[in-house]
Amino acid sequence: MNLFHPGARVVDAATGETLTEQTIAAAAAVLAEEPGGVVFLPIETTIASIARYLAALRLGRPVVLLDPDGDHSDLVERFSTTEVHPDLAILLTTSGSTGNPKLVRLSASAVETNADQIAQVLDITADSVAITTLPLFYSYGMSVLNSHLLRGATVVLERTGIMQRDFWAAAVEHNVTSMAFVPSQYEMLRRLRFDPAKYPSLRNLTQAGGRLRAELVTDFAERMAKVGGRLYVMYGQTEAAPRMTTLPPGRLAEKLGSVGLALPGSHFTIEDDEVVFHGPNVMMGYADTAADLAKGDEQGGVLRTGDLGRLDDEGFLFITGRIKRMAKVFGVRINLDDVEKNFPVTAVAGDDKLEVFAVGVSDDDARSLRTKIAEWLGTHFTGVNVRTVDALPLLPNGKIDYRALESSL
Amino acid sequence: MSELQRLREAFRTALDLPADAPVDDLRYQDNEKWDSLAHMSLVATIEDEFSVMIDTDDVINMSSFQEAISILGKYGINFNE
Repeated sequence: MNLFHPGARVVDAATGETLTEQTIAAAAAVLAEEPGGVVFLPIETTIASIARYLAALRLGRPVVLLDPDGDHSDLVERFSTTEVHPDLAILLTTSGSTGNPKLVRLSASAVETNADQIAQVLDITADSVAITTLPLFYSYGMSVLNSHLLRGATVVLERTGIMQRDFWAAAVEHNVTSMAFVPSQYEMLRRLRFDPAKYPSLRNLTQAGGRLRAELVTDFAERMAKVGGRLYVMYGQTEAAPRMTTLPPGRLAEKLGSVGLALPGSHFTIEDDEVVFHGPNVMMGYADTAADLAKGDEQGGVLRTGDLGRLDDEGFLFITGRIKRMAKVFGVRINLDDVEKNFPVTAVAGDDKLEVFAVGVSDDDARSLRTKIAEWLGTHFTGVNVRTVDALPLLPNGKIDYRALESSL
Repeated sequence: MSELQRLREAFRTALDLPADAPVDDLRYQDNEKWDSLAHMSLVATIEDEFSVMIDTDDVINMSSFQEAISILGKYGINFNE
């Protein structure tokens, strides 16, 4: 698979370094000298990492995208193999514990198809300029890179993030046209009193990685509309490579609360209230062991999302809840039951946070629990809140009253 | 507690650092805990602690502990001991 379409540019905002055919060819030459099979790539937001990523895809070597700050020795041991299915291109870790993560198996055609679907609905052209706002091992960050490279557009590599001056200076200097954010970043942008008029080339904001509250959807749609720009609300899962919907900006006001329409060539059904996605971008399946990497497609283009939802008469999807008890923290799904199995706490989903209740622990213990849970989840510590309580509220049947805990937040 | 001690405490709380961690030489992204998310919590903690409302430009310029001292000076908080 070649994602680096002629005309595509990747430029490092801090160093000025750019990605060229020669850089990718050199990375491919290095890779060809290494043992075959799966490539484990702790992917940094750098030219060198992206060159290695694109080289692996060109050589048809399945590449596992990993957090460069994590320790993945167990994972590397579990999934090292040369027996891989020929369709397999990219492997991403699922949310949940760092102890035993599953991998999502994405085929080259699913990745390429999804990049193309996204480029279509977001109207990405050779003139588009994206800037990195998310890590590249995270499916949303990866898809921003893929969809721009595929259309011969530009991607600016920036590592400091939106809370620093360097980011905004790079956005101006490189005439960035599009930025992608998850809900926690929209909260930050609001804190920063984000004014798109300061960035005249900026046309689009995109939003995925969990539900953005309606008030912020309206707020940012209006901020962008004032300068002739747009906000795209989207919905996806890593298992769908990752995008499934976009909400056309022109329909946003009347369809507030919807995540939009299925991408071109795909559709949804609702089965027992569960949202089921049907499309060419669905994963091949999960992998729990190295042997699973030799398997072919097990999904047949169908993905049970685990989300509850409904479709209106025009096909707009509204997500109403989740089947499993899940929290989404910084865009990453966390199974609340898994948290409770591994720690002496009761877990509920907060506003882009994991909220846990610990009975009768000291402040020191609460602090150390927070650190341990965040490390175990591989999430940022500010995404976990530990609350000390004297007792948990119970339902008449003796079970924990999760509703009461949620409403106490 | 002196103003300087209060600022050090605010940094430790927001960045989830131990009570005795040295913070005077901290710079954004040098410490693995000080990233954009922690920055948001840091700004909120400082605003609460010193009862100030920090401007956008100052928020994105606050890239080190020493920078925080000089920025807060503009808000009338004096760190000279």
